[in-house]
Amino acid sequence: MSGRVIVITSGKGGVGKTTTNANIGTALARAGKKVVMIDTDLGLRNLDLLLGLENRIVYTIVDVVEGRCKLKQALVKDKKNPNLCLLAAAQTRDKSAVTEEQLKEICEELQKDYDFILVDCPAGIEQGFQNAVAGASEAIVVTTPEMSAVRDADRIIGLLEAKEEIKSYKLLINRVRPNLIKSNDMMSVDDVVEILSADLIGIIPEDTGIITSTNKGEPIVNDEKSLAGKAYNNVARRIIGEDVPFLNLEEETSVMAKVKKFFSGLVGKEK
Amino acid sequence: MKDIFAEFYNKVIGFFRRTEEAEESSKDVARNRLRVVLMQDRTNLTPELMEKMRKELIELLSKYVEMDKEALELNLEQEGDQMALMLSIPVLRAKEESEITAEDEASDEKTEETEEDSDNTDAEESSDETADDEEELSVEDDSDDDSDDEDEFENDACDCGKCEKCNPKNKKK
Repeated sequence: MSGRVIVITSGKGGVGKTTTNANIGTALARAGKKVVMIDTDLGLRNLDLLLGLENRIVYTIVDVVEGRCKLKQALVKDKKNPNLCLLAAAQTRDKSAVTEEQLKEICEELQKDYDFILVDCPAGIEQGFQNAVAGASEAIVVTTPEMSAVRDADRIIGLLEAKEEIKSYKLLINRVRPNLIKSNDMMSVDDVVEILSADLIGIIPEDTGIITSTNKGEPIVNDEKSLAGKAYNNVARRIIGEDVPFLNLEEETSVMAKVKKFFSGLVGKEK
Repeated sequence: MKDIFAEFYNKVIGFFRRTEEAEESSKDVARNRLRVVLMQDRTNLTPELMEKMRKELIELLSKYVEMDKEALELNLEQEGDQMALMLSIPVLRAKEESEITAEDEASDEKTEETEEDSDNTDAEESSDETADDEEELSVEDDSDDDSDDEDEFENDACDCGKCEKCNPKNKKK
């Protein structure tokens, strides 16, 4: 088995890298894939919180690198899904505790046993970014329809293009607010795609459910009713290779559209 | 219910906004600002360099045409994969050939007068504001300092059409 190593990165902080990581990882595992997530944000780890695994961490990536434990010992199994596990970042060390080479080795080792290795990248374009990208061959660039996030994404895309190891990168637009786009107060998905001229892999609507799911330490993809959860599930399916159309967010959120849809459904049945 | 009212309110307000001001939406502002800033990020053409290029173009072109210097637009734009430098010059009047040649002669004389000045600015550009002389008041020096665009325009704009004569450095001499 040779798993795919995908780095999830953004440049700017707070756009939802870790949330995206937790959800795509969980969705892939729910689809029956063997998934391991690596948190490379040394000193500022959070992926464990989003997965609700913070109390189960015994060893971290730094322990692996410094030989205090075997790689397998450091992998924390998910509460619900046996296909999913986490290699946590050390909270007490800085980015220099792990090198690019070491991360590459870890990824190569994990590729033997897992279908997907998702690398959660720290914000910024410094060593932490370089480390996270080192072992990956694919990338997902997370951005939001805000100027600062798009600008940073552009910078990241430039850096990814310069890396030989990265064979492809895809854009994920997070925290989309259809109502704001409708009133012309937010750049649309098309605007962002056009400006960055990158392939799109997902559109995730802003969803208050994300906050509650983080509170509970349970990724939102586990909530079948959530729109953001659905959107993340679709991203996972696209990663696997399925051709899934993008959710029509406007239709789902506007009350009038729902009413219209309901009536058009009735008319359709009569015919 | 709340949603419906909010939507209705937004629509009404939006309608008045549109009819009153016909302003571009904040999304368009964001998109355009972003385009410009990304262009700069990708090319390393700083606003200062753009301003310098703009001023030099004005200087060169005003020899041939009389133009609205403040309305002159110089922008980098993306056209597909190609980057284009767009220059829009509102021309007030094309100059007569005799005017152009007269100005040529005048500027020939000027170069002799101001040679000392221009030498100095060249030196300063290469050594990044090391000289602290009074020559720092020359127009070229202002262009390196992006903070006071307004002043530049005032220095630049002149009614006679022959900028060189209205330059503050000449006034001071």
